[in-house]
Amino acid sequence: MLYGPGPLESRTPTAPAPEEPRTDGQPGDRELVERAQKGDGEAFATLVERHQRQLFRLALRMTGSEADAQEVLQEAFLNAYQKLPLFRGEAQFSSWLYRIAANSALMRLRRKRRAPDSLSEQPLELSGPRFSAEGYLDPPPLSDWSQRADERMMSAQLGAAINKAVAQLPEDYRTVFLLKDVDGLSNEDIASALDLTVPAVKSRLHRARLALREKLGEFFQESGK
Amino acid sequence: MTSAIHHCKECVELLGEYIEGTLPPERAKALEDHLSLCPPCITFVRTYKATRKLCRKALVAEMPRELMSSLRSFLGEHVPGFGCAKPDTAAEAAPAPADTELKKA
Repeated sequence: MLYGPGPLESRTPTAPAPEEPRTDGQPGDRELVERAQKGDGEAFATLVERHQRQLFRLALRMTGSEADAQEVLQEAFLNAYQKLPLFRGEAQFSSWLYRIAANSALMRLRRKRRAPDSLSEQPLELSGPRFSAEGYLDPPPLSDWSQRADERMMSAQLGAAINKAVAQLPEDYRTVFLLKDVDGLSNEDIASALDLTVPAVKSRLHRARLALREKLGEFFQESGK
Repeated sequence: MTSAIHHCKECVELLGEYIEGTLPPERAKALEDHLSLCPPCITFVRTYKATRKLCRKALVAEMPRELMSSLRSFLGEHVPGFGCAKPDTAAEAAPAPADTELKKA
Protein backbone atom coordinates (compact mmCIF):
# COMPACT_ATOMS: atom_id res chain seq x y z
CA MET A 1 0.00 0.00 0.00
CA LEU A 2 1.42 3.33 -1.01
CA TYR A 3 -0.51 5.48 1.37
CA GLY A 4 -2.13 4.51 4.61
CA PRO A 5 -3.72 7.30 6.57
CA GLY A 6 -3.84 6.38 10.22
CA PRO A 7 -6.48 7.12 12.82
CA LEU A 8 -8.16 10.47 12.58
CA GLU A 9 -7.90 11.26 16.25
CA SER A 10 -4.63 11.80 18.06
CA ARG A 11 -3.83 9.18 20.66
CA THR A 12 -2.51 11.60 23.24
CA PRO A 13 -3.89 15.03 24.06
CA THR A 14 -1.67 17.84 22.87
CA ALA A 15 -1.91 21.62 22.74
CA PRO A 16 -4.26 23.05 20.09
CA ALA A 17 -2.60 23.68 16.75
CA PRO A 18 -1.85 27.38 16.21
CA GLU A 19 -4.09 29.13 13.70
CA GLU A 20 -3.03 31.98 11.42
CA PRO A 21 -5.36 34.99 11.76
CA ARG A 22 -7.40 35.63 8.62
CA THR A 23 -6.88 38.87 6.75
CA ASP A 24 -10.43 39.10 5.39
CA GLY A 25 -12.14 39.63 8.72
CA GLN A 26 -13.94 36.30 8.48
CA PRO A 27 -14.00 34.00 11.51
CA GLY A 28 -11.18 31.46 11.61
CA ASP A 29 -11.68 27.74 11.19
CA ARG A 30 -11.43 27.11 14.91
CA GLU A 31 -14.32 29.45 15.72
CA LEU A 32 -16.43 27.97 12.92
CA VAL A 33 -15.68 24.43 14.09
CA GLU A 34 -16.72 25.30 17.64
CA ARG A 35 -19.97 26.77 16.35
CA ALA A 36 -20.58 23.77 14.08
CA GLN A 37 -19.92 21.43 17.01
CA LYS A 38 -22.76 23.20 18.83
CA GLY A 39 -25.08 22.51 15.90
CA ASP A 40 -24.62 25.62 13.76
CA GLY A 41 -25.16 24.30 10.23
CA GLU A 42 -24.34 27.68 8.68
CA ALA A 43 -20.90 27.56 10.27
CA PHE A 44 -20.31 24.13 8.78
CA ALA A 45 -21.50 25.42 5.41
CA THR A 46 -18.87 28.18 5.59
CA LEU A 47 -16.18 25.60 6.33
CA VAL A 48 -17.32 23.57 3.32
CA GLU A 49 -17.29 26.65 1.10
CA ARG A 50 -13.81 27.53 2.32
CA HIS A 51 -12.18 24.13 1.86
CA GLN A 52 -14.09 22.44 -0.96
CA ARG A 53 -11.74 23.54 -3.76
CA GLN A 54 -8.59 22.17 -2.19
CA LEU A 55 -10.38 19.01 -1.14
CA PHE A 56 -11.62 18.57 -4.70
CA ARG A 57 -8.05 18.81 -6.00
CA LEU A 58 -6.83 16.26 -3.46
CA ALA A 59 -9.62 13.86 -4.41
CA LEU A 60 -9.06 14.42 -8.12
CA ARG A 61 -5.32 13.81 -7.84
CA MET A 62 -5.80 10.62 -5.84
CA THR A 63 -8.61 9.08 -7.87
CA GLY A 64 -7.81 10.48 -11.31
CA SER A 65 -11.51 10.94 -12.04
CA GLU A 66 -13.83 13.91 -11.63
CA ALA A 67 -16.82 11.64 -10.98
CA ASP A 68 -14.93 9.80 -8.24
CA ALA A 69 -13.73 13.09 -6.79
CA GLN A 70 -17.33 14.24 -6.50
CA GLU A 71 -18.30 11.09 -4.58
CA VAL A 72 -15.23 11.43 -2.37
CA LEU A 73 -16.10 15.03 -1.55
CA GLN A 74 -19.65 14.19 -0.54
CA GLU A 75 -18.52 11.29 1.60
CA ALA A 76 -15.63 13.23 3.16
CA PHE A 77 -17.67 16.27 4.18
CA LEU A 78 -20.50 14.15 5.54
CA ASN A 79 -17.97 12.02 7.42
CA ALA A 80 -16.29 15.16 8.77
CA TYR A 81 -19.64 16.50 9.97
CA GLN A 82 -20.43 13.25 11.75
CA LYS A 83 -16.96 13.10 13.35
CA LEU A 84 -16.91 16.77 14.27
CA PRO A 85 -17.52 16.08 18.00
CA LEU A 86 -14.24 14.08 17.97
CA PHE A 87 -12.18 16.95 16.54
CA ARG A 88 -10.25 18.47 19.42
CA GLY A 89 -8.18 21.01 17.52
CA GLU A 90 -4.85 19.28 17.96
CA ALA A 91 -4.25 19.60 14.22
CA GLN A 92 -5.35 22.24 11.77
CA PHE A 93 -8.92 21.63 10.68
CA SER A 94 -7.78 21.57 7.04
CA SER A 95 -5.21 18.82 7.75
CA TRP A 96 -7.86 16.78 9.55
CA LEU A 97 -10.21 17.26 6.62
CA TYR A 98 -7.55 16.26 4.05
CA ARG A 99 -6.96 13.08 5.98
CA ILE A 100 -10.64 12.19 5.97
CA ALA A 101 -10.83 12.85 2.23
CA ALA A 102 -7.67 10.81 1.57
CA ASN A 103 -9.23 7.91 3.50
CA SER A 104 -12.40 8.18 1.44
CA ALA A 105 -10.40 8.23 -1.80
CA LEU A 106 -8.44 5.15 -0.78
CA MET A 107 -11.58 3.26 0.22
CA ARG A 108 -13.11 4.08 -3.14
CA LEU A 109 -10.04 2.91 -5.01
CA ARG A 110 -10.00 -0.36 -3.08
CA ARG A 111 -13.69 -0.94 -3.72
CA LYS A 112 -13.02 -0.55 -7.41
CA ARG A 113 -10.21 -3.08 -7.09
CA ARG A 114 -7.78 -1.13 -9.12
CA ALA A 115 -4.46 0.37 -8.37
CA PRO A 116 -4.43 4.07 -7.52
CA ASP A 117 -2.30 4.86 -10.56
CA SER A 118 -5.02 4.54 -13.16
CA LEU A 119 -3.57 7.54 -15.00
CA SER A 120 -0.31 5.81 -15.55
CA GLU A 121 0.04 3.18 -18.21
CA GLN A 122 3.66 2.27 -17.63
CA PRO A 123 5.32 4.10 -14.76
CA LEU A 124 8.79 5.21 -15.73
CA GLU A 125 11.92 4.82 -13.76
CA LEU A 126 12.57 8.19 -12.24
CA SER A 127 15.23 9.86 -14.31
CA GLY A 128 17.33 12.83 -13.30
CA PRO A 129 20.49 14.71 -14.15
CA ARG A 130 23.73 12.81 -14.60
CA PHE A 131 27.02 13.76 -13.00
CA SER A 132 30.67 13.07 -13.69
CA ALA A 133 32.73 11.16 -11.16
CA GLU A 134 33.84 14.55 -9.83
CA GLY A 135 30.21 15.64 -9.28
CA TYR A 136 29.82 18.05 -12.21
CA LEU A 137 26.73 18.08 -14.44
CA ASP A 138 27.55 15.73 -17.31
CA PRO A 139 26.41 16.60 -19.84
CA PRO A 140 25.73 20.21 -18.80
CA PRO A 141 22.27 21.58 -19.73
CA LEU A 142 22.27 22.09 -23.49
CA SER A 143 19.82 24.97 -23.63
CA ASP A 144 17.98 27.34 -21.35
CA TRP A 145 14.30 26.83 -22.16
CA SER A 146 13.10 28.48 -18.95
CA GLN A 147 11.75 31.56 -20.75
CA ARG A 148 9.05 29.34 -22.25
CA ALA A 149 7.43 29.25 -18.83
CA ASP A 150 6.72 32.98 -19.07
CA GLU A 151 4.94 32.79 -22.42
CA ARG A 152 1.24 33.35 -22.11
CA MET A 153 0.18 30.68 -24.55
CA MET A 154 1.14 27.07 -24.25
CA SER A 155 1.29 24.97 -27.41
CA ALA A 156 -0.86 21.87 -27.66
CA GLN A 157 2.28 19.77 -28.15
CA LEU A 158 3.88 21.13 -24.98
CA GLY A 159 0.68 20.59 -23.01
CA ALA A 160 0.50 17.01 -24.27
CA ALA A 161 4.16 16.40 -23.43
CA ILE A 162 3.62 17.66 -19.89
CA ASN A 163 0.51 15.53 -19.41
CA LYS A 164 2.32 12.46 -20.67
CA ALA A 165 5.42 13.04 -18.53
CA VAL A 166 3.36 13.58 -15.38
CA ALA A 167 1.13 10.57 -16.09
CA GLN A 168 4.24 8.40 -16.37
CA LEU A 169 5.59 9.34 -12.97
CA PRO A 170 5.21 6.63 -10.34
CA GLU A 171 1.88 7.25 -8.61
CA ASP A 172 3.23 8.18 -5.19
CA TYR A 173 5.57 10.76 -6.71
CA ARG A 174 2.94 12.11 -9.07
CA THR A 175 0.36 12.74 -6.36
CA VAL A 176 2.83 14.62 -4.18
CA PHE A 177 4.03 16.71 -7.13
CA LEU A 178 0.50 17.62 -8.27
CA LEU A 179 -0.70 18.49 -4.78
CA LYS A 180 2.30 20.69 -4.08
CA ASP A 181 3.41 22.33 -7.31
CA VAL A 182 0.09 22.46 -9.16
CA ASP A 183 -2.47 22.72 -6.38
CA GLY A 184 -0.40 24.61 -3.82
CA LEU A 185 -1.00 22.46 -0.72
CA SER A 186 1.58 22.76 2.04
CA ASN A 187 4.12 20.02 2.67
CA GLU A 188 2.53 19.49 6.08
CA ASP A 189 -0.99 19.04 4.67
CA ILE A 190 0.27 16.62 2.02
CA ALA A 191 2.17 14.63 4.63
CA SER A 192 -0.93 14.47 6.81
CA ALA A 193 -3.24 13.44 3.98
CA LEU A 194 -0.95 10.78 2.57
CA ASP A 195 0.48 9.62 5.91
CA LEU A 196 4.03 10.52 4.93
CA THR A 197 6.70 12.42 6.82
CA VAL A 198 7.46 15.95 5.65
CA PRO A 199 11.02 14.93 4.62
CA ALA A 200 9.50 12.11 2.53
CA VAL A 201 7.18 14.63 0.84
CA LYS A 202 10.13 16.92 0.08
CA SER A 203 12.22 14.06 -1.26
CA ARG A 204 9.47 12.76 -3.58
CA LEU A 205 8.69 16.26 -4.75
CA HIS A 206 12.32 16.99 -5.63
CA ARG A 207 12.79 13.69 -7.46
CA ALA A 208 9.55 14.20 -9.39
CA ARG A 209 10.64 17.70 -10.43
CA LEU A 210 14.04 16.41 -11.56
CA ALA A 211 12.41 13.68 -13.65
CA LEU A 212 9.91 16.11 -15.22
CA ARG A 213 12.67 18.62 -15.93
CA GLU A 214 14.54 15.92 -17.86
CA LYS A 215 11.44 15.11 -19.90
CA LEU A 216 10.73 18.75 -20.69
CA GLY A 217 14.39 19.23 -21.69
CA GLU A 218 14.05 16.32 -24.10
CA PHE A 219 10.85 17.83 -25.50
CA PHE A 220 12.44 21.21 -26.18
CA GLN A 221 15.52 19.60 -27.67
CA GLU A 222 13.47 17.41 -30.01
CA SER A 223 11.16 20.23 -31.02
CA GLY A 224 14.18 22.45 -31.73
CA LYS A 225 12.88 25.29 -29.60
CA MET B 1 31.15 27.11 9.96
CA THR B 2 29.80 27.12 6.39
CA SER B 3 31.13 24.47 4.06
CA ALA B 4 31.48 25.53 0.45
CA ILE B 5 29.64 23.76 -2.35
CA HIS B 6 32.22 22.64 -4.90
CA HIS B 7 30.19 20.32 -7.07
CA CYS B 8 27.00 20.59 -9.09
CA LYS B 9 25.63 17.40 -7.55
CA GLU B 10 25.43 18.97 -4.11
CA CYS B 11 23.89 22.10 -5.62
CA VAL B 12 21.17 20.05 -7.34
CA GLU B 13 20.41 18.12 -4.15
CA LEU B 14 19.71 21.36 -2.28
CA LEU B 15 17.57 22.99 -4.97
CA GLY B 16 14.18 21.89 -3.70
CA GLU B 17 14.65 23.52 -0.32
CA TYR B 18 16.44 26.49 -1.86
CA ILE B 19 13.61 27.56 -4.14
CA GLU B 20 11.11 27.15 -1.31
CA GLY B 21 13.25 29.35 0.90
CA THR B 22 13.62 26.71 3.58
CA LEU B 23 17.36 26.16 3.22
CA PRO B 24 19.37 27.43 6.21
CA PRO B 25 20.86 30.84 5.32
CA GLU B 26 24.45 29.64 5.39
CA ARG B 27 23.67 26.79 2.98
CA ALA B 28 21.73 29.14 0.72
CA LYS B 29 24.74 31.47 0.68
CA ALA B 30 27.07 28.58 -0.19
CA LEU B 31 24.71 27.54 -3.00
CA GLU B 32 24.58 31.08 -4.38
CA ASP B 33 28.38 31.26 -4.24
CA HIS B 34 28.51 28.09 -6.33
CA LEU B 35 25.96 29.49 -8.79
CA SER B 36 28.02 32.64 -9.27
CA LEU B 37 30.83 30.45 -10.62
CA CYS B 38 28.85 27.77 -12.47
CA PRO B 39 26.80 28.72 -15.58
CA PRO B 40 25.52 25.14 -16.12
CA CYS B 41 23.98 25.20 -12.64
CA ILE B 42 22.38 28.58 -13.33
CA THR B 43 20.69 27.06 -16.37
CA PHE B 44 19.75 24.03 -14.31
CA VAL B 45 18.12 26.15 -11.62
CA ARG B 46 16.18 28.19 -14.17
CA THR B 47 14.85 25.13 -15.95
CA TYR B 48 14.05 23.42 -12.63
CA LYS B 49 11.92 26.40 -11.64
CA ALA B 50 10.38 26.62 -15.11
CA THR B 51 9.32 22.98 -14.82
CA ARG B 52 7.05 23.87 -11.90
CA LYS B 53 5.58 26.86 -13.72
CA LEU B 54 4.90 25.00 -16.95
CA CYS B 55 3.31 22.05 -15.17
CA ARG B 56 1.09 24.32 -13.13
CA LYS B 57 -0.06 26.12 -16.27
CA ALA B 58 -0.83 22.86 -18.03
CA LEU B 59 -2.42 20.93 -15.19
CA VAL B 60 -4.23 23.36 -12.90
CA ALA B 61 -7.70 22.02 -12.05
CA GLU B 62 -10.61 24.11 -10.86
CA MET B 63 -13.64 22.68 -9.14
CA PRO B 64 -16.58 22.83 -11.57
CA ARG B 65 -19.48 25.09 -10.50
CA GLU B 66 -22.01 22.34 -11.02
CA LEU B 67 -20.06 20.11 -8.67
CA MET B 68 -20.18 22.83 -6.01
CA SER B 69 -23.95 23.05 -6.44
CA SER B 70 -24.46 19.31 -6.19
CA LEU B 71 -22.26 19.16 -3.08
CA ARG B 72 -24.34 21.94 -1.48
CA SER B 73 -27.56 20.10 -2.32
CA PHE B 74 -26.23 16.82 -0.97
CA LEU B 75 -25.05 18.33 2.31
CA GLY B 76 -28.24 20.35 2.59
CA GLU B 77 -30.16 17.06 2.69
CA HIS B 78 -27.90 15.49 5.33
CA VAL B 79 -26.70 18.30 7.59
CA PRO B 80 -29.33 20.08 9.72
CA GLY B 81 -29.23 23.84 9.27
CA PHE B 82 -26.83 23.65 6.35
CA GLY B 83 -27.78 26.88 4.62
CA CYS B 84 -26.43 28.96 1.82
CA ALA B 85 -23.29 30.40 3.32
CA LYS B 86 -21.87 33.43 1.56
CA PRO B 87 -19.04 32.52 -0.81
CA ASP B 88 -15.71 32.80 0.94
CA THR B 89 -13.75 34.72 -1.66
CA ALA B 90 -10.46 34.30 0.19
CA ALA B 91 -10.73 30.56 -0.37
CA GLU B 92 -10.50 30.87 -4.13
CA ALA B 93 -7.90 28.72 -5.82
CA ALA B 94 -4.80 28.84 -3.70
CA PRO B 95 -1.76 29.91 -5.68
CA ALA B 96 1.33 27.76 -5.78
CA PRO B 97 3.96 28.90 -3.35
CA ALA B 98 5.98 31.77 -4.71
CA ASP B 99 9.49 31.03 -5.77
CA THR B 100 12.39 32.46 -3.95
CA GLU B 101 14.01 34.49 -6.68
CA LEU B 102 17.57 33.76 -7.49
CA LYS B 103 19.73 36.60 -6.45
CA LYS B 104 22.60 35.85 -8.72
CA ALA B 105 21.21 33.67 -11.47
